[in-house]
Amino acid sequence: MYGDLGQKLVHHAKRTQTLHHLPSYQSEVVRAVTREVRDLDREVTEMVNTIGASFDPSSDPGVAYTLLVRHLCLRRNKRCLLVYHHTRLRKIEGLCWAGGGLDALDWEGSETRGVEEDIVAGDDAEGQRHQLSPEEEEYARQYTDLLAAAKGQWTDVDLTGSLEPPRDLFIDVRVLKDAGEIQTEYGAINLTKNSQFYVRQGDVERLIQQGFLQKLG
Amino acid sequence: MDDILAEFDAGAPSSSSPQDVEHLTKFWIAERTAPEILPYQGDVLERLMERVRDQISLLESSLGNLDPTSSFRLILVQTELERIKFLIRAYLRCRLHKIDKYSLHILQTPEVRARLAPNELGYMKSHLALMNNHYLASFLKNFPENLRRLDDTVGRLSMVDEPDMDSAVFCKVNRDVDTEITIRGTDAAFELKRGEVLVVRYSAIRELVGNGDVELI
Repeated sequence: MYGDLGQKLVHHAKRTQTLHHLPSYQSEVVRAVTREVRDLDREVTEMVNTIGASFDPSSDPGVAYTLLVRHLCLRRNKRCLLVYHHTRLRKIEGLCWAGGGLDALDWEGSETRGVEEDIVAGDDAEGQRHQLSPEEEEYARQYTDLLAAAKGQWTDVDLTGSLEPPRDLFIDVRVLKDAGEIQTEYGAINLTKNSQFYVRQGDVERLIQQGFLQKLG
Repeated sequence: MDDILAEFDAGAPSSSSPQDVEHLTKFWIAERTAPEILPYQGDVLERLMERVRDQISLLESSLGNLDPTSSFRLILVQTELERIKFLIRAYLRCRLHKIDKYSLHILQTPEVRARLAPNELGYMKSHLALMNNHYLASFLKNFPENLRRLDDTVGRLSMVDEPDMDSAVFCKVNRDVDTEITIRGTDAAFELKRGEVLVVRYSAIRELVGNGDVELI
């Protein structure tokens, strides 16, 4: 029935909202809904052409209703498609804010896997990168640029920083993944897995967001 | 301890307007509570940012100074700095959130559009263009011409999301207001006395928030 596929997209969108990662793009369904829209539109145009401009709805209610129902289905399908895409865009934007761009999209939702494994999995059909449609990837890239530009005007504040009010200048962190050496004003710290440090929050903010470090206490 | 604090007070740069932080805190709270976007507080932000930069350069110039009194002072300065940065960040992010949510509405209403800073406006326009392109590329390009618009109001359903001006807000009355407040659509009418705390529809007190008679909390 008309609209069934659109409904499916809405369900997907609803589900996406509660998930941590982005499920794969339903290109099949999107294509099917778009096809349905085109078919409906063609039928409507044909009908309108055959009945002519002097059509009186009360003389033939059947035709009038058919037209109305098709018309509403068209609009509804459009809304469903928009909802689906918009929800996904919001999610992508959220990931851009949280992790600083496409890299985050690549390993978001795969917290248990190491970074190296992800790079290998990137070529795999199940890889994270393939869960976006090509258009979405393009969008993510452009949005990252836009975000970088917006951030550039506020370099001292760091717009993508934590939205938790800061309590202490220094915090305890545990290293979850090897992150190499970082430079702080108190000297260099080598972040090796499972070690624990007492560091300035501002220095490691980004690493906490990216999941390399865990804040303790 | 006392003399350290005294020295800290003496050493603190005398600021032109010490209430800026307090003001921005108020604006931030108001921005978070109000359903619509409020005027951009460019002056306050600029003054604060100037002082943030001053403090950062103060910190940088005293790097490597290992005198215990001064390092205690530096910790205070850094803590304060983190808090101010958080405040500014939270304020800007809150505005960006509303801009993303109501972008079409803001774009179509010149009065609201004037409340945005030039860089916010730039961000909003680029973001809208990006989304538009994405929808077009993903499915709208396959749609019939007449269904491609994103700001339709057909069928009593507007595609443009508007802030709900009738949502309830908590507010505090700063000054007595002589005129009686009425709530549209009901027969409720009341006067505002200084110090009162109320929960009302935002639309009823919207103008009073603008001139400072009422403060959102």
